[in-house]
Amino acid sequence: MKTRNECREWRELLGAYALGHLEGDERAGLEAHLEGCPGCREELAALAPVALMLPHADPARFELAPEPPPELGRRIAATIEGEKERTRQRRRRRTFGGFAFGGVAAAAVAAVLLLFVFGGGGQDGSQPVRFTDLPKGISIDATLEPHAYGTEIHMYVHGVPSGTLCRVWLRGADGASYPAGTFRYRWGDDSDAVLSSALDISRTRAVVVDTGKRTFVAPVDPEVAAVKNANEEEST
Amino acid sequence: MIQLGTSTRGALSRERDVREAYAAHSGELYGFAVRSLGDAGLAEEAVQETFVRAWRAGDRFDPKIGSLRTWLFAILRNVVIDLGRARSVRPGVAEGGIEPSVEPLDEALLAWQVEEAMRRLGEDHRRVIVETYYRGRPYAEVAEELGVPEGTVKSRVYYGLRALRVVLEEMGYED
Repeated sequence: MKTRNECREWRELLGAYALGHLEGDERAGLEAHLEGCPGCREELAALAPVALMLPHADPARFELAPEPPPELGRRIAATIEGEKERTRQRRRRRTFGGFAFGGVAAAAVAAVLLLFVFGGGGQDGSQPVRFTDLPKGISIDATLEPHAYGTEIHMYVHGVPSGTLCRVWLRGADGASYPAGTFRYRWGDDSDAVLSSALDISRTRAVVVDTGKRTFVAPVDPEVAAVKNANEEEST
Repeated sequence: MIQLGTSTRGALSRERDVREAYAAHSGELYGFAVRSLGDAGLAEEAVQETFVRAWRAGDRFDPKIGSLRTWLFAILRNVVIDLGRARSVRPGVAEGGIEPSVEPLDEALLAWQVEEAMRRLGEDHRRVIVETYYRGRPYAEVAEELGVPEGTVKSRVYYGLRALRVVLEEMGYED
């Protein structure tokens, strides 16, 4: 019968054996022990697959443990928050096209749907506009609504530093800027800012947002705006 | 009725859950994304997309089928494939960066798992496996350098492999 100590001595050689490093008497002795010891054979069977995995790794990478940048978590939270807000806006306004998250294709579908809805005499006159070329982590959305006094602008900004003052205006077909007001972005606030401008939506060609450091411009499709406006007039 | 620990279904449908999942798994997911995409910027994009997709599909996560970690890795794997496809039609993206990995994805996942497991080993264990296995150095030489008997190097290799197995199992590895 094998003593516990005898087994331990052989067992501590199993690593080198599994890696093919054991030679001569040591190897022969261990193999003889293995024949008579089911416990050690079982232990070897547990180590063998691990030894087979080792060649897949690149030892130069053992010291490298890339860490995600600290702002990545906040960026993900902001993206999810933005998507939630857009879903809420869609529900609130019962807009068919809404503004599906991300993707030029989605924006195109939204524009086509809007044309459809407004052409067919839909009651909701809101028009989403799309800000492109945004830096990573920043999301800005706006929805325009036609009114007799001009245009109402629902602004949604996410990803800029909390407390950032945002100035908004509309750019007209005549190239002039029409102020729509200011709002302050606060971290954790997922409501949209509601602003207004005297410029008629049919003459609006762009929405401009200035965050102090950068200015973002989203074009407004004049065809969609014109159809919307005709629709507005019909229904009034 | 208030239920405690209601993590049976829809485990990622709340933002708090996403934050917890991010705290627990983002490091590993990012490590694998860097390993397989070879580009830190793309890796960030992949991890972000993974958590957003997980949040969107949060209701479909069922812990009875597999762990959250396994589920997130499955999503990341798809994201990496999508990004790889996008990159193949936009060859300029990786220019000037690190060379993207050319390994098939599952090979990259296996490689990353072993590398991550090696990183989690104690220094003594990692050192002897690196010196004897990866650098192919004689045990006697390693023993002299470390100032320990040769038998100790051998036993450290043994305990190192055992520890490696435990770490791999913790990471979801099965025989």
